[in-house]
Amino acid sequence: MITAAQDGQIDAEELQRCLTQSGISGTYKPFSMETCRLMISMLDRDMSGTMGFPEFKELWTVLSNWRQNFSSFDRDRSGTVEPQELQQAISAMGYRLSPQGLNGIVKRYSTHGKISFDDYVACCVRLRALTEAFRRRDGSQQGVVSFAYDDFIMCTMTI
Amino acid sequence: MAYQYRPQQQQQQQQHNGLQDQGFLWNVFQRVDRDRSGVISESELQQALSNGTWTPFNPKTVKSIIGMFDRNNRGGVDFNEFMGLWKYINDWQNIFRTYDRDNSNFIDKNELKQALSGFGYRMSDQFYSILLSKFDRQGRGQVAFDDFIQCCIVLQRLTDIFRRYDTDQDGWIQVSYEQYLNMVFTVL
Repeated sequence: MITAAQDGQIDAEELQRCLTQSGISGTYKPFSMETCRLMISMLDRDMSGTMGFPEFKELWTVLSNWRQNFSSFDRDRSGTVEPQELQQAISAMGYRLSPQGLNGIVKRYSTHGKISFDDYVACCVRLRALTEAFRRRDGSQQGVVSFAYDDFIMCTMTI
Repeated sequence: MAYQYRPQQQQQQQQHNGLQDQGFLWNVFQRVDRDRSGVISESELQQALSNGTWTPFNPKTVKSIIGMFDRNNRGGVDFNEFMGLWKYINDWQNIFRTYDRDNSNFIDKNELKQALSGFGYRMSDQFYSILLSKFDRQGRGQVAFDDFIQCCIVLQRLTDIFRRYDTDQDGWIQVSYEQYLNMVFTVL
């Protein structure tokens, strides 16, 4: 499946095909294009809109962990989790968010009150990308970052 | 600077415009309100709007726009709310037409750059490439009308939340990790 890559880089469409064929989502529905684009942008360090094989390997490991985490909450094997379960899954990953923040996430990522694996992955990708963006700017590791307006927009819009 | 700029469509302009003729608008409202419930729902609005292609109008954009004018949390708009909504969409159409210089129903990267620079945003060239790939749902390297609105709405929301945190209005905010996550997730 990696032979789909021209010059060792794959774009969102090729990634979607790869992941679907690989069966990494198990019995869950394959990833939407939007989620694939998100996954590329999460690891696309040179901002080329594509990902190379080392990044793909990184993604693979991360996806496997997320799938395990998700299935541990999807006890009835319905392919979706409830809002409270999503909040628990996020806390289990170590993110500390306020009730409003968690509510925002639930609103943003649920369809008809439930969260699918695809939605869950999109959410995790964003959490990870935001965390990385923050860490990169927190050079002195104080847990506080100063953002100028333009930087804030550019940083956040691209996540 | 975009940060100081408050786009026209956010201001309460009470200009009389031939298009805002109540009788005309009432006809439009009735046509869009297919089930004649007196309230235009998200799906009814989506069916009434065109993005210049044969694909449905961006549902996220429809949801955002209804949300802006739905004062009673009904999940839809009545005629009074609809008048404001209609003007809002017309304003966007005028802006879009201004920047879609080749009349293609699409705004390419340069036209997008000009539009957003016109609003006061000052971003790098690479940023516009990323914006395009993020908002272009048609996959053509250009943005259609609905995706253009969606992009601008997100930019405005981020600006608003930045403003809320920038209490001394100097264009800088200082946030903790948790604050940053919360800020972004209430907007994105």
